[in-house]
Amino acid sequence: MDYQFPHQLFPSFYDHGPPDLVLKHSAGSWGCYDSVTPQGGPGPLSSWKIMSRHEARGETWCHTEPVPVPLLSPKTAFLGHLQPPDPLDATKHLQNFFTDHCQDAFGSMSDILGENFNFQFGKRKERHRQDSVSMWRIKNHLDVLKLNVCQQVYRSTTMTRYCSLLSSVVPDIPTELLSSLLYKELQEQRDRVQFCEAATGGALAFVPFSEGGGSTSQHGCLLYPGGQGLDRLYFHKVALQQHSRTSSCVEASSSDPVSFQLKAPVRQISCSALFDDCCVAVRSDHFCGVWRFSERREPRLLQVINSGEVTTCVSVSPHVLGEVLVASESGAANLWTVGKGMQKVRLEHSNLYFNAKSPWRWCEFSAHPRVMLYADRTGVELTDMRVSPCSGHTLFRISSSSECRRGERLILTRYLGDIHAFHHLVTTQYSAYIMDERFPCVPMLKCDHMMQSPPVFAHMIPGSDAAAGETRTDKVLLGSHRSQEVTLLQYSGGRLQPCFSRGPPQALLTPKGSLKHLPVQIPHRLDTTTNRLSAPAAGVTCIQRKAGRGASSGESMCILQLTEAGDIFYQILEHKLPDRDTSGGPAAENQRAKKLFVQRKAAEQPPPEAQLVASDTPGCEDAIGPTQEATIGVETPEKEQPRLSRSAVSSSAGSEAESRRRLDAGMKDGDVAADECRSQQQTAVKLSKNTSAAWKRWLQILIRKSSEKKPRSLQHFTIRSKGLLRLSHRDERAASEEESVENLRRALKSCMSKRSLLVNGAASAGAAGVEPVPHPVDTDAWTDPLSQRLTLSWQGEKAWLEWWEEQLGLNHQSKLEDLRRRRRRQKEAKRAAGQRLELSGSFTSSVSYQSALDDFSSSTGWSSATSQGAWSDTDGGGVLSQLESSLKHENRRTATPSTVQSDSPAPSPASTPRTYKRSEPQTPNGRHTLPPSQAQSPGATTASQRRTKRPAEDHLGSLFTAQEDPAQTDPPHSPAAASSSGLRSSQSVLVKTPRGALSTVRGFSQTLSPSLGSQARPGPSQSSQPKKKSRMGF
Amino acid sequence: MDELDRHLEQNEVLEDDDDSSDTSSRRGGKKLKLPLVKPMCVETQRESGFHQSCRMCLELIREAMLHHRWKEAAEYMTSYPQILEDKTSRTAQQYKELVWRISTEILHHLPKSTVEDYNIIYECMKHSGVKHYLMICLEHSFHLMLHGQFEDAKQHLSAAESWRYGKESAAQLQRTKLIQAYRSLLDYIIWFDKKFALSNNNCFDFDNQGMHNYFRQASVNLKEILRNPGVWDPFILSYVEMLEFYDDWEEALKVLNDYAFDNSFPPNPNAHVYLFQHLKRHNAPKKKLIKVLKNLYVLVPSHELMLEYSSLLLQSEKKSDIQKALGVVLEMLDFACWRSNMDVWKYLQAIIHKLQTEDNWESIVCDKMASRKDWWPALHFTSFHACKDSEENPELLEVKTSLIKILCPDRTLKYSVELMTSGE
Repeated sequence: MDYQFPHQLFPSFYDHGPPDLVLKHSAGSWGCYDSVTPQGGPGPLSSWKIMSRHEARGETWCHTEPVPVPLLSPKTAFLGHLQPPDPLDATKHLQNFFTDHCQDAFGSMSDILGENFNFQFGKRKERHRQDSVSMWRIKNHLDVLKLNVCQQVYRSTTMTRYCSLLSSVVPDIPTELLSSLLYKELQEQRDRVQFCEAATGGALAFVPFSEGGGSTSQHGCLLYPGGQGLDRLYFHKVALQQHSRTSSCVEASSSDPVSFQLKAPVRQISCSALFDDCCVAVRSDHFCGVWRFSERREPRLLQVINSGEVTTCVSVSPHVLGEVLVASESGAANLWTVGKGMQKVRLEHSNLYFNAKSPWRWCEFSAHPRVMLYADRTGVELTDMRVSPCSGHTLFRISSSSECRRGERLILTRYLGDIHAFHHLVTTQYSAYIMDERFPCVPMLKCDHMMQSPPVFAHMIPGSDAAAGETRTDKVLLGSHRSQEVTLLQYSGGRLQPCFSRGPPQALLTPKGSLKHLPVQIPHRLDTTTNRLSAPAAGVTCIQRKAGRGASSGESMCILQLTEAGDIFYQILEHKLPDRDTSGGPAAENQRAKKLFVQRKAAEQPPPEAQLVASDTPGCEDAIGPTQEATIGVETPEKEQPRLSRSAVSSSAGSEAESRRRLDAGMKDGDVAADECRSQQQTAVKLSKNTSAAWKRWLQILIRKSSEKKPRSLQHFTIRSKGLLRLSHRDERAASEEESVENLRRALKSCMSKRSLLVNGAASAGAAGVEPVPHPVDTDAWTDPLSQRLTLSWQGEKAWLEWWEEQLGLNHQSKLEDLRRRRRRQKEAKRAAGQRLELSGSFTSSVSYQSALDDFSSSTGWSSATSQGAWSDTDGGGVLSQLESSLKHENRRTATPSTVQSDSPAPSPASTPRTYKRSEPQTPNGRHTLPPSQAQSPGATTASQRRTKRPAEDHLGSLFTAQEDPAQTDPPHSPAAASSSGLRSSQSVLVKTPRGALSTVRGFSQTLSPSLGSQARPGPSQSSQPKKKSRMGF
Repeated sequence: MDELDRHLEQNEVLEDDDDSSDTSSRRGGKKLKLPLVKPMCVETQRESGFHQSCRMCLELIREAMLHHRWKEAAEYMTSYPQILEDKTSRTAQQYKELVWRISTEILHHLPKSTVEDYNIIYECMKHSGVKHYLMICLEHSFHLMLHGQFEDAKQHLSAAESWRYGKESAAQLQRTKLIQAYRSLLDYIIWFDKKFALSNNNCFDFDNQGMHNYFRQASVNLKEILRNPGVWDPFILSYVEMLEFYDDWEEALKVLNDYAFDNSFPPNPNAHVYLFQHLKRHNAPKKKLIKVLKNLYVLVPSHELMLEYSSLLLQSEKKSDIQKALGVVLEMLDFACWRSNMDVWKYLQAIIHKLQTEDNWESIVCDKMASRKDWWPALHFTSFHACKDSEENPELLEVKTSLIKILCPDRTLKYSVELMTSGE
């Protein structure tokens, strides 16, 4: 009985004034009851019943499939912007315009100027064009510009000059004007993509036909727009059928749809049925049309009107057939009695309550056939159409009385006549309000819908009438445009009881999210399908099937969603009765205890067991699985310890840590419960065979359709190579060869058709010859490590093992010993040789310092020029071929140092970096103070003597050794070193010109480092300075 | 940097959404820039790995909760409270509320959540910050009330009542008042319980004093909250009942009158209903009742009590009253919910019978029907309606048929034609 008004409403404050609430946490109304009121039960204390405005739990509706199912096969469609266009792309658009429509862009001026230019090739000029400028070069240049060439490289000076001379004259529309307009347009388009108010209301509707009872299907007519621009209106008879106990589907193929071609895309479809007769109003941007149909009669167009302004709303009367309300951006609301004409019922030039700068208007009917709702972004007014100077009573306004937030705007209102004769739905970006027109200004219910983009579609689903003591639960579906979200809100009351919401909002499936449940697509198809599936939504509706129909079924509803690509997807939800999953008794308790025990065990044991459990648990593909979190739980006590000790310092921190831990404990209990609940009911819905088949078919058709149209793109500039390579002349080819080729082709074709392989016998049948035995491999010719290893491996396992040991530096220690011995010997020799040689030696070592330093720096963070390290890695090898091979296998580069080491004779003692490292901290600042000339200090020897004090056991050490050796072993002035390898030359040069100052070092390190693809900071060149400095410290 | 950004952002918001009543023309103004919902967790410019993982965790929790995958949400939620450890952010307050809301919501949906779990969360979060102390207190007591633990709830509310913390914001002030009012409501419930016990075994007149104490405690706060504009249906009902029990008619009437006729209050139909019921309980004269119902008629012409109103008007002797009654009943029939209601149509019949005793009854009816004549036939008297009525309620069909000629004299309607065919 809709005329009943709740005897008691929930208490709330009533404030005037603009809203100033700024909600920071974005958890909406989760977890709160909002307010309570006692109901019924005047009796003893225990009989009092309290009800809350937000009831914690509602009905459970579960999906039958994890993905929405496409209803129709995909048609070709225009897809708008998926990403909002960037207004700064205006220049790109301008360029496209100039190239594609040059006649429009430059038509008139080119006619005038054209006489003075001659684009003909050659010097010859016609007589009347004696004064014209020859432009064939420019023309050639322009012809190439049509291809995809690099604009930076390909330029002509003449062209640039002409450009600066004429660019302000040539375009018919001044470029500044055009670009600013384009910029504005793009901005508007971006806004429209972000929030499209034209789509408000939704262009999808379902009209159920009255059912003769007994059958398991719900028949009705689905109304939707189709065609490439959504400008064709379809009336399609469909049925929601239930095949077996579990599966049900929407049957659309039984009859062909009736369709009407319209002049503009359909924005909104509004329909209402009275006694099997249905009246449908359709809104496009400037036209509105009304159709009438019923189950037996074909749809028939009654009237079309063209309003001058953009229409924003059309709404069919649920009371009187043929009455339609039309609102337009002019601010006018008209009552259109079909066949009789329009009557202006309200005109507002400004927004209702404050200036929201919006021309959007909306109209809805109300419980009274002559009272309508007039809405804009700021609020809703009830307007009596019979009163001539129209005035309104506030039904809803953005204010603090309805606990609005700052910046909140009205998005949509809907008359919820099917649910309750006096109820209206008002949605904003944040919330959905249920308003009762008998008690204006105060919302009966406010739910936060938690949607990302504003809900522009709404559909009401009246609950089935109370079954035995249950309260009837009505549902409202909200749909958003861009993000395709569909949210289900449940609420009850409005008659004897006040309105209260049941359970938090439930997000339903979106077409966008369905790909992850489907078989994997190959990338370019994935692109196509993703784009198609993420087209913005254009409407939401629902087919409802009440309980008790047929033999087996409970209540179910099928939610249909239209996207702007013209696809319709449906998902079926079933009502799960709460009393099914009752589990009690000792057995369950026992099981629970066991489960708990197992969990604890899993938590106590190290990962492997946990892994096992993880693989058991279904449906946890995300990062933090349940078992991982269990191990976290184990860790927490230890973690807590330092926290608590810290909390001794600040008490508040301590209390928080405490609270967190207790919270953890609380949640953990819940978690155990959750685990158990999982074991009891398998909620993970599996993709059924039918659905996956439907999707497969749909995707195949989509791919076929999309491959037909190729996107336009510029051709690349290529050099013609057609005539360059030619076979010897056709006649010379023997006829038999020709024939064999033909045979081969035929065989290939037949093989391809059979999907078999073209086997050798068939292929070489014509030219069968004996293959010569290949020459034995000359192992010495293959000196790269791989070949070496392979060669060695023929000699047996021992040789192979030795090679590896050497390679990996496992015999490092012994080698080092060897090396040191040799160095000592060398040094003694050097000492005898004299000063000059030593200087050059110091320089070489400085280079190796640098690389060593750079290598170190990557770990010490002092300076990072890793490339230098890499370079020196490859450098030290000394063998050109090896270098090449290591360059080829770049990924193996890290292994090369050891290769290098093994290969090189490693004669010189070197662990200079260490010395340097030791001295560096003493002079951390003032690195640049020393002139480079002073850097050639003889301190190197002392430094190198010190080296021996430290055991050089690591890889790095060996690396430096290896690296140093060419410089030290080669005679300083040897030209052979310079020529031996391109990469090595840098060092050799250094060696050659020891006095060539540091600048050389700098220069090389700078030129080399980028060539090796490093991201060297200025580090290398600077880092060579402190070395000198450090050595000066000695 | 972040702070600065946030600050700027807030300023922008302020500039953008001046909801003040600036009523300059919309034309020529730029198009609406709708403030869109900010995503729950935005990636900030400089976030540490900790913040990043928290953000991702929150995102996952949100997804799971929106899709009602509660156990999954609970699993993630076990790790999320570590956000409370975050000392770098100045948004700790919002995280506390977030954690509280999410964890209670998850607990609502876990099958084995116990009262202790709830208590842990409510108590922890309550004491974690001063700004939301009152709110969580209130919610906690709601939770206890919903589970029948009135004594505990009252204890919590009393504790919250005495809680003081520095400067109070407007919202906090209101919440304090609400806490007081709810506490008084619980007092009333206990008072009612005692009254009930008293009436059951009325020989013992023992705890009268205690009962009176409860009344005194409750009345102070209830009277206080009724001064604030708002919807206070349960509070005023309990207050009036207690006042009536102690025979304070005057005070009760005054309170009810204030509630119904104070302009700062929202136009609550229940206010008039309570007033009417109060007057009727005390046998007020018909004139007063009619006056109250007249106010209700202006507010809600479709209210149930309009039947009573029209019968009262019908009983009066004045001619104008009968015309008024006609208006009331016709207006009721405008509304969808009364259209097939037998009682209203019978009232209409009775009124017209009574009217017909007068001379100019036709003009009166015509006058009332003038604004309705172009849509009433479509609303009530189509062949479809006849069909439906004959199926569901043949008596209604008769009543309606008899009235067609009177209400729409100048039109031939299909309602009767259909009657002929369906009657045969």
